[in-house]
Amino acid sequence: MQATQTQESFITDLLRKVFSAAGLTILLTLVIAGATVFIAGPFVLVNAIVTGGMWALMAAGLSLVFGVMNIVNFAHGEFFMVGTLVAYFVFTPLSAHLKTNPSPLLSAVAPFLGVLAAALVGALLGAVIEKTVFLQLRKRTKEQWIMNSFLLTVGLSVIIINGVQILWGTNFKGITRYWEIPPFDILGVTVSVDRAVVFFLAMATMLLFWYFLRNTGTGRAIRAVSQDETGARMVGIDMNRIQVLTMALSSALAALAGASLLFMFPSYPTVGLKPLYIAWYVVILVGMGNVAGALVGGFIVALLQTMTSYFIGPGWEDVIPTAFVMLILLVKPSGLFGSEVKGIHER
Amino acid sequence: MLEINDLNAGYGFLQVLWNVSMRVEKGEFVALVGPNGAGKSTTLKTIAGLLAPMSGEIVLNGEAIGGMEAHRVSSVKGISYISESLNLFTGMSVHENLLLGAYIIQDQARIQEGLDIVYQLFARLKERRNQLAGTLSGGERKMLAIGRGIMSAPDLLLVDEPSLGLAPNLTMVVFDALEQLRQSGVTILLVEQNVNSTLKITDRAYVLEQGQIAMEGSSRELLKNEHVRSAYLGI
Repeated sequence: MQATQTQESFITDLLRKVFSAAGLTILLTLVIAGATVFIAGPFVLVNAIVTGGMWALMAAGLSLVFGVMNIVNFAHGEFFMVGTLVAYFVFTPLSAHLKTNPSPLLSAVAPFLGVLAAALVGALLGAVIEKTVFLQLRKRTKEQWIMNSFLLTVGLSVIIINGVQILWGTNFKGITRYWEIPPFDILGVTVSVDRAVVFFLAMATMLLFWYFLRNTGTGRAIRAVSQDETGARMVGIDMNRIQVLTMALSSALAALAGASLLFMFPSYPTVGLKPLYIAWYVVILVGMGNVAGALVGGFIVALLQTMTSYFIGPGWEDVIPTAFVMLILLVKPSGLFGSEVKGIHER
Repeated sequence: MLEINDLNAGYGFLQVLWNVSMRVEKGEFVALVGPNGAGKSTTLKTIAGLLAPMSGEIVLNGEAIGGMEAHRVSSVKGISYISESLNLFTGMSVHENLLLGAYIIQDQARIQEGLDIVYQLFARLKERRNQLAGTLSGGERKMLAIGRGIMSAPDLLLVDEPSLGLAPNLTMVVFDALEQLRQSGVTILLVEQNVNSTLKITDRAYVLEQGQIAMEGSSRELLKNEHVRSAYLGI
């Protein structure tokens, strides 16, 4: 009797989860993905899986900054752009050097050096911007913080884009591939090494990020600030330190995504705009401050995009996700998964 | 230990405290009582560093701490503030809230010691250690706020209205816990509206009325005082 009861409650619980907005969307996504594989073949999914992981990283950083600092960051794409730029300037000389004196070890490691350098520069840039821009605004703003900081990020975006344009010009700086290794086959689909590595890099970073937020003292402090700022100050958490760290972390994630996708998105001043919009689609879709949700949302948006471009045409790539986001906002404004993070304005 | 001289404080143009002076000696259990809107919470917020004083000094162990940032008052000076609204991290488990209470402590053994003390003081919290703080009942939230407050092993504990909104039996649990803490050597400054029970467990008390200290003395004497009896005890 006892056993059947628990089993029943388990089943009803599962049914409730499946028929929630989040469950239905995930189910629908899986069905669509399955249908796509059936009609067009599994190769369509490769791009969705590769980019989806990186969109998740972008979105996680974006929602972290909103949750902790209440900044609606429209300069987030610029960190993606800086990531592509740094990776290009680190990787191209290395690969030219490798042409004249080959070394198997360095050619395997060189792409990672580019990505790592991009993440470090991104973190540094984020920390500098927090100290020189947002901290100064915070000292002066008494109300309307959300609006003021939002406008400031738009201005920052314009300045960074034009600054990069003046310094490095508007020409495309791209690479064809990171690793000079022939592609391999999985289930009859040809996958380049770059794409496979990028996917695993995204997953590993996401896992690390999630572990950091869950299980370390500093990660816990970041979540504490996003949940109750006064409470955080009361237990002795230094807000300035957390704010610099959050901004650096979020920027590093965006720069890492940019650097990893350099072979798909050659660097030019406005390359960050599209990833920025995609990251916002993901954040609106899953709700703020939800790292695991960002992962699911990243793949949903990436799948929607690749499918739209395959079945309807590349010009429609942004139309369908935008329409989907509008639908979500009408039906469930808090996002598919709800969230534990609320901005100050909601309290 | 704590000495406040001619403190003026408030919010923007609204001044709430007018030349408040008081002192708390080491190991003492001191109450700050008074009617709604007298400035009791404002006093605690100013000591905790959440509010900058307009003028006057706040001295802790001979060192001025007025206007110091809240996180430094807590981490460097060892003052723990338990607010009226509790400011719990509602999206985290009870256990995580307690760990954050010990944010400033690096030593794992000391954190474990703190957890043992809290879980012994409030067995209920141990039962619910993996539950989200936002799903606790009102009494359990109070316990958690006090538990989080003592996790940093503070020298001075500022407690704001722990009995607010609690059923009488839960109020007794909370007051018992404060009594136990005092016996273990923690100095406590308690703000309360529940004047009768407060004066029974504290050593000394200040009566704050309209932002000024109206009366001070030992709790026993104040309980007998004519003004206190008619205004707060309804006798």
